[in-house]
Amino acid sequence: MHALSDTAPAPAGGRRAGVMAWLLLAPLGLWLVLFVVVPIAGLAVYSFCQRDDLGRVIYDFTWENYARVFDPIYLRILGRSVGYAAVTTVICVAVGYPVAWFIARQRSPLRERLLLLVMIPFWTSFLIRTYAWIAILKTEGLLNGLLQFSGVVTAPLSLLYTPTAVIIGLVYAYLPFMILPIYGSAEKLDNALVEAAHDLGAGPIRAFSEVIIPLTWPGIAAGILLVFVPAIGMFAITDLMGGAQVPLIGNVIQNQFFRARNAPFGAALGIVFTLMFIVTYALAHRRRRSSASP
Amino acid sequence: MIPLPGSRALAVLVTALALLLAPLRAANKEINLFAWSEYFPQSVLGGFTRETGIRINYETFASGEEMLAKLLAGGTAYDLVQPPDYIAEALIRNRLLLPLDRAKLPGVSNLLPEYLNLPHDPEQRYTVPYMVSTVGIVVNTERIKEPVTGLADLFAPRHAGRIVVVDDARELVTAALYVLGYPLNEINAKNLAEARPLLAQWMKRIKLYDSDSPKTALLNGDVDLGYVWGGEAARLWSENPKFAYVIPKEGAHQFIDVMAIPEGAKNVDAAHRFIDYLLRPEVSKAISDEFPYTNPNGAARRLLSAEQLANPASYPPGNRKFDTFRHLGETGALIDELITDLKNSR
Amino acid sequence: MPSAAVIEIREVTKCFGSFTAVDGVSLDVAAGEFLTLLGPSGCGKTTLLRMLSGFETPTRGALRIDGEDVTHLAPYRRNVNQVFQSYALFPHLTVAENIAFGLRMQKVPAAEIERRVGEVIDLVALGGFSARRPHELSGGQRQRVALARAIVPRPKVLLLDEPLSALDAKLRQQMQLELKRLQRHLGMTFVFVTHDQEEALTMSDRIAVFNRGRVEQIGSPSDIYHHPRTTFVADFIGEANLLRAEALSRTPAAVRLRVEGGLEVEIPAERWPSDWTSGVVSLRPEKILVSKRPIGDAAGFTARVTDELFQGALDRLHLQTESGTRLTALVANESALREAIHAGDTVWCGVHSDDVAVVGPA
Repeated sequence: MHALSDTAPAPAGGRRAGVMAWLLLAPLGLWLVLFVVVPIAGLAVYSFCQRDDLGRVIYDFTWENYARVFDPIYLRILGRSVGYAAVTTVICVAVGYPVAWFIARQRSPLRERLLLLVMIPFWTSFLIRTYAWIAILKTEGLLNGLLQFSGVVTAPLSLLYTPTAVIIGLVYAYLPFMILPIYGSAEKLDNALVEAAHDLGAGPIRAFSEVIIPLTWPGIAAGILLVFVPAIGMFAITDLMGGAQVPLIGNVIQNQFFRARNAPFGAALGIVFTLMFIVTYALAHRRRRSSASP
Repeated sequence: MIPLPGSRALAVLVTALALLLAPLRAANKEINLFAWSEYFPQSVLGGFTRETGIRINYETFASGEEMLAKLLAGGTAYDLVQPPDYIAEALIRNRLLLPLDRAKLPGVSNLLPEYLNLPHDPEQRYTVPYMVSTVGIVVNTERIKEPVTGLADLFAPRHAGRIVVVDDARELVTAALYVLGYPLNEINAKNLAEARPLLAQWMKRIKLYDSDSPKTALLNGDVDLGYVWGGEAARLWSENPKFAYVIPKEGAHQFIDVMAIPEGAKNVDAAHRFIDYLLRPEVSKAISDEFPYTNPNGAARRLLSAEQLANPASYPPGNRKFDTFRHLGETGALIDELITDLKNSR
Repeated sequence: MPSAAVIEIREVTKCFGSFTAVDGVSLDVAAGEFLTLLGPSGCGKTTLLRMLSGFETPTRGALRIDGEDVTHLAPYRRNVNQVFQSYALFPHLTVAENIAFGLRMQKVPAAEIERRVGEVIDLVALGGFSARRPHELSGGQRQRVALARAIVPRPKVLLLDEPLSALDAKLRQQMQLELKRLQRHLGMTFVFVTHDQEEALTMSDRIAVFNRGRVEQIGSPSDIYHHPRTTFVADFIGEANLLRAEALSRTPAAVRLRVEGGLEVEIPAERWPSDWTSGVVSLRPEKILVSKRPIGDAAGFTARVTDELFQGALDRLHLQTESGTRLTALVANESALREAIHAGDTVWCGVHSDDVAVVGPA
């Protein structure tokens, strides 16, 4: 019974990490502590504090900040943020999947070149790229110029400072984070499995839904996490491309720290948001585990 | 925002290193300046360093509130800050500014008296005015033919979707209080409740909120009207006089951005020298050349061209009295919550 | 030999860029036949198989399966199934789900799927494993799942792409037997690709030997083995002593040859083209009768044993004739029935004329 020995758990305490291993891990551990644990702990402390009229944090315990997070105003903003992030994620999957699949199926030199094209935008600053979109979408911008020149429209379309512009900006910013993990899964997928599906009578659609999707699900799940969670908290794009008309949760948090000078409330929002991230991650993780084991 | 995690970590590390090395700096050989972005010509900063050998580390902020938040958070020991008047008032009240040594600032005599001894610093002990700006209406007169004389005209239904407004909760509320006839510093629950329906209507008609560069959308043709900083309007006018500047008839206020030395400053002497340098007529003129705000320096104004002085956004014609913001205590939070709620209910 | 052709391959050529993988191959496969495509890697056998399954389209020529032209038909519309070299089991599905996949695609009713999957699981002896996933199975079990998955839709033809190459020697032999038994039991047409000549000889009804995109020879295993018609076939299948031969004389019925090393032998005239004066013949090492003195009236030659190698079931003798020609002979182990032959002995080597295969011109 080969099968049984394959799945048998490794004996407990079978491996001991040496001093060297711990030393190698130390920089990562230090990094995590300094830049993840400490800031979040600080945020957690702030979130139970009060502020004076200048906005200085006073270390007096209060639940008030959390009570305010669950005020309908902020719940609605959170809901809308999730909505924008969800639309962004869906579009990113729909656009990113075929792109990732196509790249993964290419031969080696072409494949690396296409992958490079996906990553090239990272060479310029995110803000500069967003300003480029403003130049494209503005009333007297490239797109309207093109549409009017070609006679598709007679009057310029109002594209910038609309929810559509926000979604365009979000999709543009996060698309590579969807493409890369899906590419990772698609590239590992043995082409023989796709051929086997066709061989057994599955047409393109059924082969896609019954074999390709389930087998690239880890990549899709990673892509969803990498897009959905940060998109909820994005604030620069809503300000720049949405005209700051409709606040998303990221804008509200940023406002609390820099405009309203209410760090404790901002911290409470941040903590709730972080908890949401953890829950989303845990759910996605459980889904992946349950689909991978019998 | 999507900075690569590495770059953020690097920034933090560099900052940490800078902090560690901070005590090693030679006293009064450099100044940590914390000021508005886009407010100092490079020639002015460079000129000071050439003359005195004192280096200037220029760190920027985009709103008075941001400045206050970062100053209170500690971190860098700033030698010189540039708050707007009402933030300066709060700092003075909380004893967060050092009194200035007037003996080291002979240039103060260049300043026009109407910009001195104002309510935020009645004895002019802590602050020196830098530049002044009103907040008013910009109209693209090529696109908008009907006259716009006040805030009620600006936010009229026919202008829906054509308006840019500075992204600042207090400015919006102030505009509403003007239209309702209340003094701009009387922020209370009752006044805000009255302002609410008016603001709700207005905000449906606003296309864009932008504090950093509201002129961009006007220049791009994305909007035709604005409620913006006077300096921005002045630049628009000098770009193209079709952008008319209107002081709202319901009422208008002005900011005085001041220079001040915060508690904990290490290079107090050097900071004084820099303030006095800024007060020199030719230096102050150089600032006005690049940033056409209202210059409070009388000696400098005499050096400006006729065209500069004719800019209606820099030097509004007539003898209007302008209000100024006072520091709000706890009630500031009410404004923020009101505007967040209204933006959200669109 | 079964009758009607279920696969007809007509002048099929497949080029990849400037490389011609399959070069004008024509071939028929009879219903119920076990045909093996045998050849070294890169000879075009797998490409031909992939054209039958539909993963490649011929550059020229036509393919018919069960009377239907499938040259340009998509793989999922063909009534053939393939067992992949890597098995290509779906890792996210259980054994039963893998096997049921083809039936589900054909929209077979659930109850029937369950019955047929159950039957085939019994047939390939995987009872008790149906809820496992592929990664929980051994190599041989995975192989059976791949087989079960491919046969359960009852294809007209089963295509097998080196299905046993990943198994160890012992398991491979066992699976060879099982596969052959299964094929007979189902009466299904199998087209089996391998580079392993022993596997081909064991299992096939017919073998098509491929070389450089062409079929060198097609025939029954014994025909291919005993009567290789080219030096490539003689050399690739089994072991061969390839020797030059000259025609000494010719009658209408027979040709008398003098083979390099001193052998003179008469072979039927139809095996030696009339215009040849010389050619190459193949002698299988085990067909050389080695003894201390001539036996009967068989043709023969004398040689010296240079080395004697013990190989278990057989002894391998390296021989050198007086004229210097080197040959190899395989003889049964020394036993009470066989005289002792050692290195250094001079021996007589007898060859039956039936065992002299003419494999090509000189």
